[in-house]
Amino acid sequence: MKELISLGEGSGGRLTAQLIAGIIENFGAQNGQKDGCEDCTFVEGSLAVTTDGFTVSPRFFPGGDMGHLSICGSTNDLAVRGVRPQWLTMGMIIEEGLPREELHRLVKSAAATCAQLGVTLAAGDTKVVPKGAAEGVFFSVTALGHSVTSKPLGMDRLKDGDALILTTSPGRHGTVIAALRYGLDLGGLESDCAPLWPLLEPLLPLPGLHCMRDCTRGGLGTVLCEWAESTSLGMEIEEEALVLHPSVTAICDILGFDPLYLASEGCALIACAPEDADTVLSRLRAHPLGREAALIGHVTAEHGGIVGMKTSLGGTRIVDMPIGEILPRIC
Amino acid sequence: MLDSSPSKARAVLEALARRTGPATLMEVCGTHTVSIFRSGLRSLLPEGIRLLSGPGCPVCVTDQADIDQAIAAAAVPNVTLCTYGDMIRVPGRGGSLREAMGRGADVRVVMSPVDMIPLAQKQPEREFVFFAVGFETTTPQTALLLKEADRLGVKNISVLVRHKRVMPALDLLANDAETGVKGFLLPGHVSTIIGLEPYRPLAEKYGIACAVGGFEGTQILLAVASLLSQIAQGQPRVVNAYPEGVRDEGNPDARALIDECFRPCASVWRGLGPIPDSGLELRPSFAHRDACARLGLKAFESVPIPGCRCGDVLRGRITPAECPLFARACTPQEPVGPCMVSSEGSCGAWYRYGRTGGKL
Repeated sequence: MKELISLGEGSGGRLTAQLIAGIIENFGAQNGQKDGCEDCTFVEGSLAVTTDGFTVSPRFFPGGDMGHLSICGSTNDLAVRGVRPQWLTMGMIIEEGLPREELHRLVKSAAATCAQLGVTLAAGDTKVVPKGAAEGVFFSVTALGHSVTSKPLGMDRLKDGDALILTTSPGRHGTVIAALRYGLDLGGLESDCAPLWPLLEPLLPLPGLHCMRDCTRGGLGTVLCEWAESTSLGMEIEEEALVLHPSVTAICDILGFDPLYLASEGCALIACAPEDADTVLSRLRAHPLGREAALIGHVTAEHGGIVGMKTSLGGTRIVDMPIGEILPRIC
Repeated sequence: MLDSSPSKARAVLEALARRTGPATLMEVCGTHTVSIFRSGLRSLLPEGIRLLSGPGCPVCVTDQADIDQAIAAAAVPNVTLCTYGDMIRVPGRGGSLREAMGRGADVRVVMSPVDMIPLAQKQPEREFVFFAVGFETTTPQTALLLKEADRLGVKNISVLVRHKRVMPALDLLANDAETGVKGFLLPGHVSTIIGLEPYRPLAEKYGIACAVGGFEGTQILLAVASLLSQIAQGQPRVVNAYPEGVRDEGNPDARALIDECFRPCASVWRGLGPIPDSGLELRPSFAHRDACARLGLKAFESVPIPGCRCGDVLRGRITPAECPLFARACTPQEPVGPCMVSSEGSCGAWYRYGRTGGKL
């Protein structure tokens, strides 16, 4: 039987990592990312690039829409490496029959976010495909910009003892999408979808700032696991320090999901030297997107490669990388 | 009796454990399994107190042959197969429902089977089959689907019934001398339906301590403390340690609904084999909803998986880590046995949350 691609390979966990490795190995060693699996790559000097596809369903959701999301998602991958988003290109695959008004709403929303960030649309492409060949409309966005830090931020700078700071309460975007798909009440919950550059820019002058990552597909848990596995350092977090929106907790309880693995689209994990932790927290909290910023744990030389959690009950447990698609449990 | 502060809870457990000596407890609910791991409860247990995971994950105990049959149903032209989320990833011999979707089968995840009614009404030319799995917790919802479909005259809905009853499996475990379980942490969800009465023989006939527990870490601690205290006193009984969720008498209306639609039959449990009266089948008054008859589905053969010791794990004879395949040939990425597949399976949970033995 022919081997088929499974949906689980798109969920951001281990299966996705394998899918990507199987693609990159076909290109020569000079291709792909030079510095491991970071959110964007420096291609020449301080110039960095990243690319991202957007297929979210539903396309409009409380707290945002796919247009806004496509700009946030792509530019956030630059922002977390200290790169100011400057230009982007946008490809659109449009299914025949999409209401024109819907396309315009998505594009207007994307344009408004670009204007807010001062990002220029440098190139674009449109393809219209026959009904059934795509679902509504898909966006593909490439973003470019120059780094403003003297040394690039990245996992290679993570150190034993670094403080781990989360910029806001995690898992809101993923919970909103899951609740909409399974017909659950949101209880006032909105996606956290937001551009992170304005929040993170004030942190960039700090010498103790080491590494940042936005907790998108696969959630906070996946980011922590990638950091631990890529560096052979241990990550330790405290459950008590994670502030979850009550609707995130309730919806995850119903579906049997672990909020640690649900996507955020406006939330970053930050590692910094412990002496800079207070400054990072106060600068984050001064911005509306960072009001709920919290110190959630630290990097440790112990249990290398493994993410540990101190639970509210006083116990300990492993936080592992999710394997495939996250599905609701039976009861 | 038990304070919610972890240090005090731990002190209570340790004091109890000094009186009980080494003891093996078993939780028989997949949601408990996951909650126990997520809350780090296992790392708080006193030395000598073992907590094993029993056959409480409905996905894990659904036989391979039943999954193959569901895949066959989904492959029939014009059929939409609906089921619960984590069921679609479990492999039978012919792959999983998720893989069948990749080949073009129409398989949908539902939160509740009655959600199928509007779908079936919208597409009267298609047959909507519900692959009905799970214990007493999910059975009443299948019964509701059957009754609503009849009441509304929605003809294009049928069910592939593979529901299971918890008590016959607990009886089997209680009779298993090798297991040596001294206390059962009883399932909160199932107990909301069946109440406490059916468990009494476990305590009275087999001398096993029983406590129904809620799903928060502290609620489970409370139930564990109750079990240890019963063992310490040498007075096994059935305690409702989750009164905020479970009434002692359960839910008689839901039981009547189950009884109206289904009758007990023999059923094959993955890992445990056939257990008399542990399954449910449609009563003749609902035979017209039987998907097997309507689609002409053949029965599939269940074939044991070589080397897999899920049966011993489900019976509490070994911990997942004691299986030679665990974390080597059998991982969540490439599961060999059913307990590794489901998010609530004991091996899967053990791997994800506790493969270092709870220590970091």
